[in-house]
Amino acid sequence: MDLDVIEQPARSGFFKNLLMMKVRVKWFGTLNPEFPSYDSEKGLEVELSDGARVKDLLARLRIPEVKGALVAVDGKVLHLEDPLKDGSSVHLLQPVYGG
Amino acid sequence: MKFLRVNMSEKSVQFQNVPKGYAGLGGRGLTSVMINAEVPPKCDPLGPENKLIFAPGLLSGTSLVNTGRVSVGAKSPLTGTIKESNAGGTVATALGRLGITAIIADGQAPKGDLSILRIDEKGEASLLPAQAYKGMRTYALAEKLLELYGQKSAILCIGPAGELQVTAASIQATDTDGRPCRAVGRGGLGAVMGSKGLKAVIVDQRGKSADAIADPMAFNEAAKAFAKAIKAHPFTGQMLPALGTAGLVAPVNSLGAFPCYNATKGVLEGWEKISGETMAKIIAERGGKTTHMGCAQCVVHCSNEYVDKHGKYMTASLEYETIWSMGGMTGIVDLDTIARLDFLCDDIGLDTMSTGVAVAVAMDAGKAKFGDSEAAIRMVEEVAKGTEFGKVLGNGPAAVGKHLKHQRVPVVKGQSIAAYDPRGMQGNGVTYATCPMGADHTAGNMIGLYLSGAMDALKPDGQVAASRNSQIGAASLDTLGLCLLVGGALRTPEGGQALLKALNAKLGTNLGPEAMSVFGIKVLQAEREFNRKAGFTNKDDRLPEFFYKEPLPPHNKVFLVSDGDLDSLFNF
Repeated sequence: MDLDVIEQPARSGFFKNLLMMKVRVKWFGTLNPEFPSYDSEKGLEVELSDGARVKDLLARLRIPEVKGALVAVDGKVLHLEDPLKDGSSVHLLQPVYGG
Repeated sequence: MKFLRVNMSEKSVQFQNVPKGYAGLGGRGLTSVMINAEVPPKCDPLGPENKLIFAPGLLSGTSLVNTGRVSVGAKSPLTGTIKESNAGGTVATALGRLGITAIIADGQAPKGDLSILRIDEKGEASLLPAQAYKGMRTYALAEKLLELYGQKSAILCIGPAGELQVTAASIQATDTDGRPCRAVGRGGLGAVMGSKGLKAVIVDQRGKSADAIADPMAFNEAAKAFAKAIKAHPFTGQMLPALGTAGLVAPVNSLGAFPCYNATKGVLEGWEKISGETMAKIIAERGGKTTHMGCAQCVVHCSNEYVDKHGKYMTASLEYETIWSMGGMTGIVDLDTIARLDFLCDDIGLDTMSTGVAVAVAMDAGKAKFGDSEAAIRMVEEVAKGTEFGKVLGNGPAAVGKHLKHQRVPVVKGQSIAAYDPRGMQGNGVTYATCPMGADHTAGNMIGLYLSGAMDALKPDGQVAASRNSQIGAASLDTLGLCLLVGGALRTPEGGQALLKALNAKLGTNLGPEAMSVFGIKVLQAEREFNRKAGFTNKDDRLPEFFYKEPLPPHNKVFLVSDGDLDSLFNF
């Protein structure tokens, strides 16, 4: 299941790098997309189309909206429509309040 | 609805009906209004004129869930301002079930004289000699008292730190298992209790004389809806039961706002070793409890039982703020050490937050290296031993800074900041600066707003208005006896409506949603008035200089909110 979801169907080798990007994802809280090979220390490398947005990543990881996942990259919270950059380190978080 | 007035000079106890001027007040609302009315603002906080007030919330003792918070108020010996600190556990519910609106202790016993206050299941109160418990640590004391008075007893007590009257002394509260692991932590209220000669308050949980509810049917309906809203919210329904408040380590580090190495960086190296996720994994592997009901009436169960690698109990209710102060600020990325420090502070009766920050200041000043677990444990144990440095550490980070001639001391009005750096979360910085009780983590925390993306944590724009609303909201919740962690659920229409309906059904009123703000504003005004009379001015509503001068990596910002903007916060 991992491979189907993470990697796009193979594209022509020549154009592949131009159209894809990779981000490294770690998730926290009670978010638990089902990836048996997930290593919480290393995170998961996810390949996306170039120009993919936060919501595309969440859809790829099949995280249901009810979990309220939030995304932080380089210390800042991103919104669903924000684009992701190649090589980013992405943290998936859940809403919290003070305590 | 009665007050229990306890005169520690005369060793007398007396019940009185709640006077008209205090009607309709509970929790922090009652303690702050009463302290402003009855305590001379310039009095010695450790002298006979200060009053120590224990008040359950307006909804404590009812069937409404998550109403187990007891507020304790006095003039603080740490800050010199008015102070309210609240704790969970079982006392608020016990007092509510007895119809006791507040216990007010005033006067002062002769030096060295120690008593306990006992309230039985009929609501009868007595002051009993407690010399036998002199110097006793809280775990041993709680065990003894539960043996004597029965397991259905709710306890508030001080350890050796409170008896020594050091200003980081806490009052510990027993949880549903009878362990004194919950804390009225901040502001040195343990020292006030010690100064009065009061070692413990024991309240029977089996009271059957709670105040009448005006409309019981409407109340029960609202209570059901309220519980439903709390369970439906992802924070209270999923995150907290699984990870506890330790679940905040990941988001705050992810935002670069986790004050570490004595607030010189915003991301701790190796923070994932002390995250809520790692803690839950360790606890589960070792056979402890990742989910635990710490407080009466709670349906969230955010508490935990941390065990060592042999499965033996180390501490309970290990919280985010403690992991921050004992791990982040000190650079100790080892949960076993942090758990040990948590237990030591609970047992000695010390605020884990102030104590961790005090250790961090000592490390920053060169007394030990950041990350030195053994040095941290040694320093905390010195407080109980009463050594010269122990007394300094027990008086908190400002005392340590003065003693070691170190400038970087993250306190406001003498109280240390909490687990959110002002430079990484500008609005939390506004709260630290302006809160009438010094830097505070519950008075107006905006992590929820930042994480949801509703506000930019790094820009000064809008932070004062947001902090104002947050402080008013927190103050109003603090009058009800509600656990602040349900704040998220209360922001949903279902949750907010259910609470208002329950409040109206209890009091027989017809309050609209704006009434909550009215409560909160009244509390803040009473607190500001007391502080003004005690000699505080706007000049005290500022952060220490280094927050304005030293950029915090990784975002490399300083605190950006202007003095003029800070001074406008209380324009209401």
